[in-house]
Amino acid sequence: MKYNAVNVIGLGNILYGDEGFGVAALNSFRDSSSFPETVRFIDGGTQGIALLDYIEACDAVIVFDALIPLEYDRRVYVYRNDELPAFIHRKMSSHQMGLSEMLGIAKLHGRMPREIVLIGVPPKELELNVGLSREISLLLPEAVEQARALVDGWLAESR
Amino acid sequence: MAKKIVVDPIPRIEGHLRIEATLNESNVIEEAYSTGTMWRGIEVILKGRDPRDAWAFTERICGVCTTVHALASVRCVEDALGIAIPTNARIIRNLMNATQVTQDHLVHFYHLHALDWVDVVSALKADPKQASAIAQSISPWPKSSVGYFKDLQQRLVGFVESGQLGIFSNGYWGHPAYKLPAEVNLIAVAHYLEALDFQKEIIKIHTIFGGKNPHPNYLVGGMACAIDPNSDTAINIERLMMIKKIIDDTNTFIDQVYIPDLIAIAGYYKGWLYGGGLGNYLSYGDFPETTLDDFKTLLWPRGAILNKDLANVIDVDPRDAAQVTEEVSHSWYTYSGGDDKGLHPWKGETTPSYTGPKPPFEHLDTSKKYSWLKTPRWKNHAMEVGPLARVLVAYAKGDPMIKETVGLVLSKLEVGPEALFSTLGRTAARGIECKQTAGFMTHYYDQLIANIKTGDYRTFNSEHWDPASWPEECKGFGYTEAPRGSLGHWIQIKEKKIKEYQIVVPSTWNASPRDVNGNPGAYESALKGTPMINPEQPLEILRTVHSFDPCLACASHLFDMNGKEITSVTIV
Repeated sequence: MKYNAVNVIGLGNILYGDEGFGVAALNSFRDSSSFPETVRFIDGGTQGIALLDYIEACDAVIVFDALIPLEYDRRVYVYRNDELPAFIHRKMSSHQMGLSEMLGIAKLHGRMPREIVLIGVPPKELELNVGLSREISLLLPEAVEQARALVDGWLAESR
Repeated sequence: MAKKIVVDPIPRIEGHLRIEATLNESNVIEEAYSTGTMWRGIEVILKGRDPRDAWAFTERICGVCTTVHALASVRCVEDALGIAIPTNARIIRNLMNATQVTQDHLVHFYHLHALDWVDVVSALKADPKQASAIAQSISPWPKSSVGYFKDLQQRLVGFVESGQLGIFSNGYWGHPAYKLPAEVNLIAVAHYLEALDFQKEIIKIHTIFGGKNPHPNYLVGGMACAIDPNSDTAINIERLMMIKKIIDDTNTFIDQVYIPDLIAIAGYYKGWLYGGGLGNYLSYGDFPETTLDDFKTLLWPRGAILNKDLANVIDVDPRDAAQVTEEVSHSWYTYSGGDDKGLHPWKGETTPSYTGPKPPFEHLDTSKKYSWLKTPRWKNHAMEVGPLARVLVAYAKGDPMIKETVGLVLSKLEVGPEALFSTLGRTAARGIECKQTAGFMTHYYDQLIANIKTGDYRTFNSEHWDPASWPEECKGFGYTEAPRGSLGHWIQIKEKKIKEYQIVVPSTWNASPRDVNGNPGAYESALKGTPMINPEQPLEILRTVHSFDPCLACASHLFDMNGKEITSVTIV
């Protein structure tokens, strides 16, 4: 099976400490090696609906994001496909539209990517501050390795 | 015995909007209190930074509007440094802004607000033949065949049978406040899916001019995109034609889908005219045809209306210390000169001082400080900002396009202009405005082409890029009308660095807590007097709050692995 379009998305707010994990991981991954044009890197920030196109218009997606519950051990978690919740929930504002909602809409549109993977860590510090805490930044290499293994696998299948 | 109802999204960490309301014996809202539960301290982060970088930080405040803060920020810095931007930059900024408003209003209506009026589960019972007949009677939109609605319905049934209606989890389906026939619900669900699909196209305009989306590039002094009709990499003929196609399709979608749906849905709810609220409206204005100081040329006019008096539109000057102030008498901040006096943003302070209970909490003492939002006031009045405020100011000033569209919508609904002062009026104003901004997109496209044809390719004025050319000390004000309302940035620059930066966002106007005199903010006022059918399913509260298109916290985007109950409702 060919993967002609792979989107790597980093989510999070870089102004809130470890909330910015997803964007930091995206940047580390992008800078770690060279990639073919079929792999695209998207700094999604805290956007919701604006990212729908990047989810629907590809064969595989990797999303880096910070995770809750905060009680989770601080390590790198990888969730694939049906392990990810997809739903459109009742909300107070458009700001509550996260990845799970995007997946819900993609399902209704019948345009889920064949592979969707979330690579995340529970944040340690959620304070107004630019930059990750030391503990969370030490997890970046592993997050990048997990993403690299997946992307390498998809690219190998596409040759 | 009075009941108290609390609607609070994610009780634990993602700070957001919390509404507390007291109800009388007949379940009518007596008082409402709006609380922003998360501190937004961007002002602190900006201190000491290069003013030319401020836009890139402020652009990250908001998770919905990717451009509005960047626009207000570059305008603010240009105002401080006395930079005039080239004509192309003005046109491109206006076009990007019109694009943002149009896309945002469309997404708001279908994605956030429609489900306050549309019962998804009821659509399963619709007769596709009748749905098709109704759709064809209200619009020439081609996707309206019996087969189209039948297919969609089968897809929905498939989701329900596979247990995946969970996609629409937590809806108040079957709530008696839903009034639409099953067939209209089915049409609305179809257009919900089409709108979410189509909005992806509109925003491509940002990618073309801003280099990327989300977070398109802005630039103090102009825009970062190059224009050259014959270049492969610049804004060229091919890209301009792509933009033109998107603009034409957008106008068609608004005219043939959004507006007919709005009128069809509103027709069933015109007996529900709650949620008017303050009756005070404020617009800074936007879409300059020349410079931002030439107010007469703003396509969205500037002005204020008090007590629904459309005969008097009052002049507004956000630079005037006596006009725009922020108070903290009910907000978790302190002012060095005392919390009982408001401060103009150029004198503004951002010193957090949390005195509320330790979260998670059940109660807030609303007689004291109870919100992370400050309390903005205009000449000491609480004001509503946003589409309804802008439409009313334009209507009162006699804007021909707005008068015509408002007249058309009101006559189709067979209601008078007084119906505008309501939740439904706010929702209608957003649709009317969306049609208008789609028209602006065409207008700016034509302007851009005409200007390029004169041989003017300039997009950037580098005159004051070098900090050596800046004064030792200066201050500036930048404004825009964001989809949700009036947005202002106030900056003070000293020794080439940001000394102070203050932002007053639209939702702070609308969602503000009480002021020093105890007067409620726009949400608080709008909820008062609303009857609730079933307080445990506060659909009516969501309707009115959603009609303002709330934009709060703007901070966090955590992925919740097991939290399905996003918005909790507690009755005590």
